[in-house]
Amino acid sequence: MIKHIAAHALRALATLLAVLVITFALTRIAYRNPAAVLAPRNATQETLDGITRALRLDEPWYLQLWHYLYRGPDIQGAPMGLFNWPPALGYSFRQQRPVTELILSKLPVTLSLALGALVIWMTLSILFGVAAARKPDSPLDRALSALSYAALSVPAFLTGILLSYFLYFTLSTYGIRWFPGSGYTGLTEDPLEWARHLALPWLTIAIAEIGVFQRVVRAAMLDVLGADYIRTARAKGVTERRVLFGHALSAALNPIITLGGLELAALMGGAIVTEQIFGLDGVGRLAVEAAAGGDFPVVIGTTILAAAIFVISTFAVDVITRLRDPAAG
Amino acid sequence: MSSAPPLEPALAAYEAPGAAGRFLTVRAILAERSARTGLILVGLVVLAALLAPVAAALTGHGPDQQFRAEALAENGLPAGPSARFLLGADGNGRDVLIRTLYGARISLLVGVPATTIALIIGTAVGLVAGFFPGRIDRLLSLGTDIALSFPFVVTALSLVALNRGSDGRPIVDPVLLVILVISLFAWTYFARLTRGLVVVLRNRPFVEAALSIGVSRPRLIVREILPNVLPVVAVYWAVQLPVNILAEATLSFLGVGVQAPTASWGNMIAEAQRTSLYQVQPWFLLGPGIAMFVTVLGFNAIGSGIRNVLDPQG
Repeated sequence: MIKHIAAHALRALATLLAVLVITFALTRIAYRNPAAVLAPRNATQETLDGITRALRLDEPWYLQLWHYLYRGPDIQGAPMGLFNWPPALGYSFRQQRPVTELILSKLPVTLSLALGALVIWMTLSILFGVAAARKPDSPLDRALSALSYAALSVPAFLTGILLSYFLYFTLSTYGIRWFPGSGYTGLTEDPLEWARHLALPWLTIAIAEIGVFQRVVRAAMLDVLGADYIRTARAKGVTERRVLFGHALSAALNPIITLGGLELAALMGGAIVTEQIFGLDGVGRLAVEAAAGGDFPVVIGTTILAAAIFVISTFAVDVITRLRDPAAG
Repeated sequence: MSSAPPLEPALAAYEAPGAAGRFLTVRAILAERSARTGLILVGLVVLAALLAPVAAALTGHGPDQQFRAEALAENGLPAGPSARFLLGADGNGRDVLIRTLYGARISLLVGVPATTIALIIGTAVGLVAGFFPGRIDRLLSLGTDIALSFPFVVTALSLVALNRGSDGRPIVDPVLLVILVISLFAWTYFARLTRGLVVVLRNRPFVEAALSIGVSRPRLIVREILPNVLPVVAVYWAVQLPVNILAEATLSFLGVGVQAPTASWGNMIAEAQRTSLYQVQPWFLLGPGIAMFVTVLGFNAIGSGIRNVLDPQG
């Protein structure tokens, strides 16, 4: 068990290192002439050369990588590399701020978005999935299955636009202003406004995920519900609710946790679209703007963050499922 | 990109080699109602893609042709649905219906090759990783993990920047780039699936028997193991295809996929959203939105039908 976890942790670190090096190489090749991108439109050659020297863009790539890892682009003097203490992700070319600080300032938005959506989609998927598995092939099961296929067939960006059209635009033309069309309020500032601003974005993500998870929960429950101990529990007179949500669901939870971890980790991609539609200033938007504007320290930073979230989720899922099922360890 | 639907049902059905091959007949699939519905929907979409030029010729509207005089009002607002423009016109005075039909071509033209390339790469990696345990497996699995942990959209953006030549023009066709970007991510799912299947098959007696009579390993993999995994992998192709069609639409929506003026459902919806015209003239969303829904629903229904054939309980 411990050996397995250590091996997994080591592999996770190797994965992250590889992602770092590949992203670094990719951005260095992709943005061929960053100085020209960053300089003012009519900059002289001297200015361009100055920027190139300041960012060490004229050095060979391995020296650049070393500088990135150890010191970071030290425009402001202090070392800001990943191998320093405290570890940092370098300095944004465009915004003139440390990348770590930029990401940390946007992270609460994306985290609120992802975790809130997770709570909604998991609750609804489990309710719908259990309801469907109770009576397979019943009208309710068929209706829920049709609903989840429909949800699966609409991309998040279309769901988002439709939600914002009907629940924001149409409602507000009738004078009903339940949901704001865009923007974000911090949780600590005003919890009610926070939830009001995030309701539609949460729903956008949750609808797509319910399409996947309702069927996962249903299939996992069906696998378990035929087992002997469920029959025993029913025979003993355990209430149906406890049989379903106590005995059966806890046994069926492993595939749900596994896929849930992966989906949560992949939300960086889905969150970009949702953030864009609802004007949320989160990490996804930061990443897209950086990639479009050639600000590659930010591109590398956000990519590493996404990869780290993915790797940590996979690791956590592995540990949890193993703890729940010692036989697999 | 949201990950693909789970594989457990397909894998659970795969207990004996050849099981899928034995039961997965055209007749069995056609007996499934959801598969029949799916085939009809997909048939309609393919028909729309094929007939797009015919519709363009009949109406006399090219997909990128602008009819500013007829389709735009004095104040620049596009005209609504009419006999000449069945689904109305967009902000540039182009026929929304014709563009939607041409969008079907792009959707299939990106989705099908991308999924096929992903299948070929993923199956090859999975076969090798599953057949050679130890160092080779560990290395290939690490490679799969690395590819999986890249954020899809951000990396796609970097690759689009990579594709910009020194004169600012794209080096390869953006459509080709979208195909490559999607397959670069989608192969991992095929690799994991195939590896899992091969690990099970490798311990079967027929593999040992073949090795003991001196069949070479490459031959064993290609002639004995590949035919056994191919049915399941092919089913997964149908499951992955709608995911990739949505990935193309999402990239185009974000402006990193198929570029204007080429019509793609994603960039049509993006244009409607950017100009906010859809708020007063919702038909902008109607064409591409419904087309995308029907296409993805159709492929999902086929995938679900095939899964029901493989695993009637699921």
